Amino acid sequence: MGEFPDTASIVIVGGGITGCALAYELAVLGVEDVLVCERDYLTAGSTGRCGAGIRQQWGLEMNIRLSRASCRILETLPEHLDYPRGIEFKQGGYLILAYAEKQLEQFRKNVARQNELGVPSRVLSPREAMDIVPHLSAEGLLGATFCHEDGHANPFHTTHAYALAARRAGVRFALDTRVTDIEVRGDRVVGVETSRGYVATPLVFNAAGSHSAEIGAMAGVDLPVYTERHQILATEPVGRMLDPMVVSFSHHIYCQQVPHGSFLMGRGDPDEPRGINNESSWLFLERMARSVATIMPPLADLRVVRQWSGGYNVSPDSQPILGDVPGLEGYWMAVGFSGHGFMVAPMAVRVLAQTIAGSDPEMDIGALNLGRFERGELLLEPNVV
Amino acid sequence: MLDCEIAVVGGGPAGLCAAAEASEWGAGVLLLDRDRMPGGQLVKQTHRFFGSEAQRAGTRGIDIAGILHDRLEASPSAAVWREADVVARYDDGVLGVERRGRWEKIRPQKLIFATGAAEKTLAVPGSDLPGVYGAGAVQTLMNVHGVRPGHRVLMVGAGNIGLIVSYQLLQAEIGVAAVVEATREVGGYWVHASKIRRLGVPILTGHTLLEVTGTDFVRGAVVAEIDENWKIQPGTRREIECDAVCLAVGLGPLGDLMWQCGCEMAWISELGGYVPRRNEEMETSVEGIYVAGDAAGIEEASAAMMEGRLAGLAAAHALGYVPPHQFTRIRSEIASELYHLRSGPTGDVTRRGLAALRGAPVRRQVLVEEGEPC
Ligand SMILES: Cc1cc2nc3c(=O)[nH]c(=O)nc-3n(C[C@H](O)[C@H](O)[C@H](O)COP(=O)(O)OP(=O)(O)OC[C@H]3O[C@@H](n4cnc5c(N)ncnc54)[C@H](O)[C@@H]3O)c2cc1C
Ligand SMILES: Cc1cc2nc3c(=O)[nH]c(=O)nc-3n(C[C@H](O)[C@H](O)[C@H](O)COP(=O)(O)OP(=O)(O)OC[C@H]3O[C@@H](n4cnc5c(N)ncnc54)[C@H](O)[C@@H]3O)c2cc1C
Repeated sequence: MGEFPDTASIVIVGGGITGCALAYELAVLGVEDVLVCERDYLTAGSTGRCGAGIRQQWGLEMNIRLSRASCRILETLPEHLDYPRGIEFKQGGYLILAYAEKQLEQFRKNVARQNELGVPSRVLSPREAMDIVPHLSAEGLLGATFCHEDGHANPFHTTHAYALAARRAGVRFALDTRVTDIEVRGDRVVGVETSRGYVATPLVFNAAGSHSAEIGAMAGVDLPVYTERHQILATEPVGRMLDPMVVSFSHHIYCQQVPHGSFLMGRGDPDEPRGINNESSWLFLERMARSVATIMPPLADLRVVRQWSGGYNVSPDSQPILGDVPGLEGYWMAVGFSGHGFMVAPMAVRVLAQTIAGSDPEMDIGALNLGRFERGELLLEPNVV
Repeated sequence: MLDCEIAVVGGGPAGLCAAAEASEWGAGVLLLDRDRMPGGQLVKQTHRFFGSEAQRAGTRGIDIAGILHDRLEASPSAAVWREADVVARYDDGVLGVERRGRWEKIRPQKLIFATGAAEKTLAVPGSDLPGVYGAGAVQTLMNVHGVRPGHRVLMVGAGNIGLIVSYQLLQAEIGVAAVVEATREVGGYWVHASKIRRLGVPILTGHTLLEVTGTDFVRGAVVAEIDENWKIQPGTRREIECDAVCLAVGLGPLGDLMWQCGCEMAWISELGGYVPRRNEEMETSVEGIYVAGDAAGIEEASAAMMEGRLAGLAAAHALGYVPPHQFTRIRSEIASELYHLRSGPTGDVTRRGLAALRGAPVRRQVLVEEGEPC
């Protein structure tokens, strides 16, 4: 990128989907001198480690609206960003399985709300679910919900598509550049200290994913988020077996087959301690294998080729924290995505860019600002793995 | 979960010697190799070995493997798992093993990596066509499985491996179109080079491979002359007819598992790539994890055997099996054998590599990040 700049109009901390998409959205609105600082390389954080599922089947209105709008953005993203390789957005649907009466009850409510907001999801009987996924075991299955527009994209291509378009629009990317401190004078941000030098800036944007609390603390902002490891694996590629992403909250798992044939599957561990930890464990491998084989027995024969892990940056209500900080000028954030940032970031950052650039925001996301925790307006998202 | 005192990963000359040494002192050793037959590279080496006399030069590689394996079998405290691929080392010290299609876990107190090397390749157009092989793969095909790799082979690389494999191809009555070598001189021993020259195979020094042609499989290869700065000389392109291309362009140490362990690694081109930093007992920067053989730096089987012994001795000593005075004496005996082995002109590269390793900047994979405030 040439010389490392000593000033910028905005410094974005983090080069994941959030930072890169935001940089692009700002640039197309005419904001100049945007600098993205990434301590490692683009997609080094959760974005490059995620399941990259995209679903609109949520329980809470904001999650539904953001994911629905993001899904629309992703459908035409390659053309929009002039990225001929494509982002491998496969809309094979999401099939969410119910194994308890109470769960099915909640799913019915969710679907009603989703339908109100325009999401074409529906409730299925076990038989109908098995028509979509013939490999499902009937054991204990009470029903499911399905939305055919949901799916999966390639997180690397998606992020790079944004980053390349942003670069063409004049954004500067400083890789291998770590933000080490934020300078606040009075009630305003005035600059950031980085591993490559000081940058004077009136606005810093926290898009640091797992590290967001750290970047908050640098400016004295106490963010109510924590990071939790989630593990995931990929199998050898095989012929087409599975179209939709299959999710079971009862088994804490999700599983899908990506276009080239590999299965990607992950499992949340209810006992996972908090903290940043990108190590993998053998226990995950065994539990994952057992859970997925319970739900879809033929998958037991697949060979695992890789396992890895990443962080969920979790907020108290499993919804992202979007916006600025009352009483501190020049500090913005999109953090606490709670395991679904890939699918909601495109719309979330578009609205934030519009707000920062002073144009009319497409959506009201005020309900997701930091202030909600003080106001105590917490609604808990029921649909999380 | 199986607990053991010492796990040795890789059953080539280094691993076999490490396991034999440690188990002869009484330590409980489990040797794991992904192949059906332990022996590593030796299994396919039908030629009489170059290298140190004391380390059985003149004996065929495959016979050395047998001798080492018998020695291990004779030891009551050693066990060998074949077709056991170590696929991971977790942060709680557990090894994940795929053994004959089953998933097994081992928790060793000490760990010796003797995983050997992987062949390097060349990225030229067409180098992913069927019929483009590594030299070691060709050797395995012919000498282990009895399969011809093609009818007319172009060999790339005139180091010892390129020369020996060329000669073995000729012995199997497979044509060798030419040996292409980028440097000005043949890197391997003259005896090997003369043998294939006498059989009429041209050795094209100062040449490089530009492209492999063909659509479904190899039909030919394009080579050209290069100057001292590796610049292609205009007008020297020519196509060589062949149906297989064999790349003997060097080996790279297999260090993936050591990266997983968090061992400090350094890039040392004289040793073939990333190798772990270690002390004179072959212990890496992670306590209780040792390395030996090509995994520690590309060299020869003789050095691999000595390093293996050293690592096995040190691991057994760390577990209290070797009396201190004996340990010191044997350790310096092996060290001086290694010193002599490396003191000739052929040891020059290794000497430079080891010297560089001592001062090189290291990299370590950091997975657990500290300083999380919440
Ligand atoms: C196993 C797993 C599965 C998931 N599955 C899904 C899914 O199916 N669908 C979905 O929508 N989401 C999923 N997620 C969540 C999703 O990955 C995240 O919500 C999303 O990627 C967050 O993007 P981000 O850009 O905000 O953060 P990140 O991608 O984490 O990017 C933050 C970046 O900031 C950088 N950074 C941190 N500190 C500094 C610093 N001091 N200076 C400079 N740079 C810094 C990091 O290196 C990193 O690159 C999953 C996550 C995991 C771990
Ligand atoms: C064509 C050729 C000719 C050669 N000729 C000579 C010669 O004449 N004289 C000489 O001294 N040297 C020669 N060498 C070099 C010599 O073969 C090697 O230096 C020596 O074999 C290295 O021994 P090693 O035990 O370190 O590795 P290897 O012999 O490569 O053995 C490594 C073993 O580890 C196993 N392994 C690797 N990873 C795993 C894993 N994750 N889990 C389980 N098992 C694993 C492999 O299957 C293999 O069996 C030659 C090499 C080649 C390729």
